[in-house]
Order: sequence, then C-alpha cells, then structure tokens
Amino acid sequence: MKEVLGRILETEDVYGVMLFSLQGAVIFREESSSFLGDRQAREAWPRFVGALQGLREADLIFDKIRLYIRRTDLGYLIIVMGLFAPAAMVRMSCDMLLPLLRQPTKSKWLRKLFKKEF
Amino acid sequence: MIAKTEDVMERITVKKVLIVDDDSAIIQTVKEALIRYDDTLVVLTAGDGLEAVDRLKEQTVSIVVTDLKMPRMDGFSLLTHVMAYYPDIPVIIITGFSTLAMEQAALENGAVGYIPKPFMVKDLAEKIIATLKRESDGGTLHSISSGMFLQLLEMEEKSCTIRVVSKPLGKQGVLFLNRGDLLDARVNGLRGEEAACEILSWDEISLSIQNSCRQKEKCVHRPLQAILFEAALRKDNRRSQVKGSSVKEGEEDSRSDRKGRVSPEEVKGVLTERFPEGAGVEDIYQDEAWDGLVEEVRRLAGFMKAGDFKAAYVDRGDDYAFILVPGERVTVVSVSHKCPRDRLVETLSELS
Repeated sequence: MKEVLGRILETEDVYGVMLFSLQGAVIFREESSSFLGDRQAREAWPRFVGALQGLREADLIFDKIRLYIRRTDLGYLIIVMGLFAPAAMVRMSCDMLLPLLRQPTKSKWLRKLFKKEF
Repeated sequence: MIAKTEDVMERITVKKVLIVDDDSAIIQTVKEALIRYDDTLVVLTAGDGLEAVDRLKEQTVSIVVTDLKMPRMDGFSLLTHVMAYYPDIPVIIITGFSTLAMEQAALENGAVGYIPKPFMVKDLAEKIIATLKRESDGGTLHSISSGMFLQLLEMEEKSCTIRVVSKPLGKQGVLFLNRGDLLDARVNGLRGEEAACEILSWDEISLSIQNSCRQKEKCVHRPLQAILFEAALRKDNRRSQVKGSSVKEGEEDSRSDRKGRVSPEEVKGVLTERFPEGAGVEDIYQDEAWDGLVEEVRRLAGFMKAGDFKAAYVDRGDDYAFILVPGERVTVVSVSHKCPRDRLVETLSELS
C-alpha cells in the first residue's frame, strides 16, 4: 500500500495522501508538507470523513490548496495538493493504482514479470 | 465549393508524432531521423506514459510511438489508454526486451506496429509515414458545411473517421461514423454528443477523411438532425457573444463586491459567458440539503489553514454530478459526467 499510494505522492505539487476507513480510522497517511494540519486538524479528519458518506468522488477547491477525494473498497482516499497540481493526472493515477490495492498478489506477479522480462 | 488555403493545408498536412521513451538518447535519435520529414511531421516527446497522457490532452496527436518499459506508466498502460480515449490514434510499440508473447499482446491490444530494439531508425520513420498516410486516405475537403457533408455520409451509410479543423477558432476535432451512424466525437477533452455539437458548430472548416472507423462504442444517441440543430443554435450564440463581447469597465469590481452572495442567475451568466459552446450543465439551483457537507468542509479548511472554501465537484454516483458554489446559500450546478469539470470548477471558484 505504501508503495502504491506513495507513487501518487510523487506527483508534482501533491502534498499528502491519506486513506481513511469508512468509519474514519486512519489506514494510511503520508505527507510531504505541513498542510495536513496540526494535532487538532488531525482529529478533525474522522468527522469530516463521516460527512462524506455516499460520495464517490469529489474535488474541493480552497484559497490555498485543493483536495481530491475518492471512495475506494477500503475507504476514502484523500489527496492534498497545491492549486497548480495536475488534477487530471492525479485522478488518472488513482484510476490506475487503486485497483492494485485490491489485488496485491497480481501486482506482485506483475512486478516480478516486469523485472524478469523487460 | 473547395477553396484551398495554404495555412489550413499546413495545419492538416503537418502531423504530430508523439515519441514516448524514458531514454533521452532514443528520443534524440528518432527526432534527428525524422528531421528530413519536418515539412510533414512535428515531433512531440514525453518521458513516460503519464507525460504522454498530458501531451495527448494538450495537442492533437496523429500517431504515438512508445517504449514499453518506462517509470510511472508503462507502454502497455499507455496503449490501453489511447485505445480507450483516442481509438483513432495509431500506436507503434518499440521495445528493447521483446518476446513473442509481448508482441502478440501489443498487437492484440490495438498497436499497429511492433518494432524490437535495436532498429533502423529509417524503418521506424517509414512505418510512421505509411501509417499516417491512412489518416487521410479518403481525401481532404476545405470550406464546406460539415452538417451537409455529414448528412451525405449518413445517406451513403459510410464508415469513416473525419478530422475537422477550424481555422478561425484554431481547433481540431474528430468525428466517428459507422455505416452513416455518428458514433462519437472528440474535441478538447469532450466526447460524445457534447463534442459533436461543438465540432458541428464551427465555421470555415477543413476535413480530412480516413476510410475506416476504429471507434466501436456508441456515445452519440440523439439523431443527427437534433445534433445539427443544437450545433446551429451554438453557432448563433457564438455570433451574438462576439457582438456583445465589449466588457463594461468596472465589471470585475462589482463581481468582487458580490462575493458571498452568489446566486443561480449569476452562475448561469458566468457559465453562458465563459462556455458559449455549452458545458454539460443540466440545472442551476439553491439547495439546503448540501449545507451540512459544506459546513464540514469549511470547518476542515479552518483547521488546515487552507483559506476560503471556493467550490467543489461532487459525484455521488447519480445520473449527474454536482458543482457546489458556497455563499450565504449553496448554489448547486448539476452537470453531465462528461463535462469539462476542471475548467468548470475553476471558473465557478472565482465567484465565491
């Protein structure tokens, strides 16, 4: 999971990637800046995730940042990015990478194949 | 009826070749080899699949030549993406780690060529040129009415891919016909009926016709007459927009004064002004049902020191997606899932 979601974090102007369960528990969290907020803010995330019920996908635009939210089989993926982040590319990365979270064995098999044959 | 223009001819005859490889030496070699064709080909480059996806969005590419093994997004993923979103763009695979199974997989997935490395660059250039010739094997027409031409193709039950260039607008689009049936269209990130209405509303166009249609999925469901009617309305709207485009001084100031008091009428006005060709908007209204979510978003923004909440695009899996514009009351714009979402949200975020 760290490897898969970490690849999204490599995208230009992406500050952080978080995965919350549908109940708001943190499953994964990786950040490259302080935009994810202090302790108080971290405690605010579960409540926020609770308010997302029913959403499949969302883009939220603020003065300083934008959030991309995507419902996955495991819960809600939230990506924190700057205003100049390539939003469409982030969405596409999610399209490609999120299925790998569902099929860990296949991704290992693919990696093995790529290492050996390419 | 046919009036050739040198400028238009240049736009149509110069083809953009997108070379995708993480090896800059290969890119350079291919670029140098294609210099002798620079009256016909413009070379675009990308270091991996994701970069190529961006190039495809920005530019009207005629052919993609891609390596297989690349970081972030490999050649197979790129091939799948091109086949899904740009089925008319041929893809040639080049690879240094070739196996028979890989070659079969590439060709089965839609690649038109597979060239193992090392290869003679001359052979690649010839393959590119030969493939591109098919792009206009049905001929080229200038300064004609796309509507009339399409009706003719419908009557004749032709299958073809038509690339349309509008010189005054500087735009290019593609129409896909199968046995006279308009299956799909593509322009500037739009697809289907939205794209077809946009393309067919252009004046002073040139067409190049390819005698085949690789598009299979039917994305245009309304009859051709209905599409042509909407395209004519858009053409009229565009003309009246041009006439009334003199912006009054001080308009920006009054707009900033209205912050926090966004109304559906204002949103409608902005969308009509910025998206005269339409933007997949279904309805604009105010709805308190979104207040709870907007309140939580504002609360989180405060904790994150993210600044004001400007706008949101929300997809709940319904028939339409929603753009929320916060204000004293939340203004909701219901939109088609195929709308230009980033441009819409960006535009509407300027209001709040």
